Amino acid sequence: MNRKYELVYVVSPDATDDQVTDLHTQVEAIVQRMGGQIEKTENWGRRRLAYEIGRHKEGTYVLELINGSGELMKEIDRRLKVSDLVIRQLVVRVDEVQEVVERTRSKRSESSRRRRIARGLPPDRQPGEGQRGDSDDDRDDRFDLSDL
Amino acid sequence: MNGRKSFGGGGSSTGGGGGRGGRAGQNQQTGKDGQQRRPMFRRRKVCKFCADKIDDINYKDTRLLMPFVPERAKILPRRISGTCALHQRKLRVAILRARQLALIPYTAE
Repeated sequence: MNRKYELVYVVSPDATDDQVTDLHTQVEAIVQRMGGQIEKTENWGRRRLAYEIGRHKEGTYVLELINGSGELMKEIDRRLKVSDLVIRQLVVRVDEVQEVVERTRSKRSESSRRRRIARGLPPDRQPGEGQRGDSDDDRDDRFDLSDL
Repeated sequence: MNGRKSFGGGGSSTGGGGGRGGRAGQNQQTGKDGQQRRPMFRRRKVCKFCADKIDDINYKDTRLLMPFVPERAKILPRRISGTCALHQRKLRVAILRARQLALIPYTAE
């Protein structure tokens, strides 16, 4: 069973860069051993935490996109929990959500194309056209979130 | 629609003419409790995610989520933000996840 997961973990700010990469290779080893693959790795670098975890105020965030089974993710989660360097981790399954998002997106573009053709317009939007422009006036009836 | 009110922010109640009542500017209940209610125009609230066609409410996108957790870091209720039920549910999950990773605070100190 191959599924797509997203793993984010926060490494303690005391860890050196080497230790962060070391952690990544550890994860990679588990993934390979259990027959998965890493699709993407992203290091967000050092960020301020929204609240203190233990005594830490900062952390290094690492994101990994992993294809694999549930047992694999369970194992990784367990290993990260044990590790002292990792102060937070999160595993999220993403394939189902992505599918839904893609479906709604394609549905929307398709229906807009159909309507445009019915109105005798070219199927794609031309630059500089659009009933809902970016002018400030137009957005006035929306909920104003910018002042929060 | 006119009557620009600052929703959100300090959780300001709209005061005066009736803090309750339906969404949108439909003028219902006229003079129910004796006094005359003049028709209140309230700005029609639109779900941000429907309007901007944001399909994917991602927990990593703090810029998107932050407006929905004002000051005390509580999740902004639907009745104030105008978010539709579907997107509010997705928003909630995203905020919960972001909180776990310390991207968004649980409380203000």
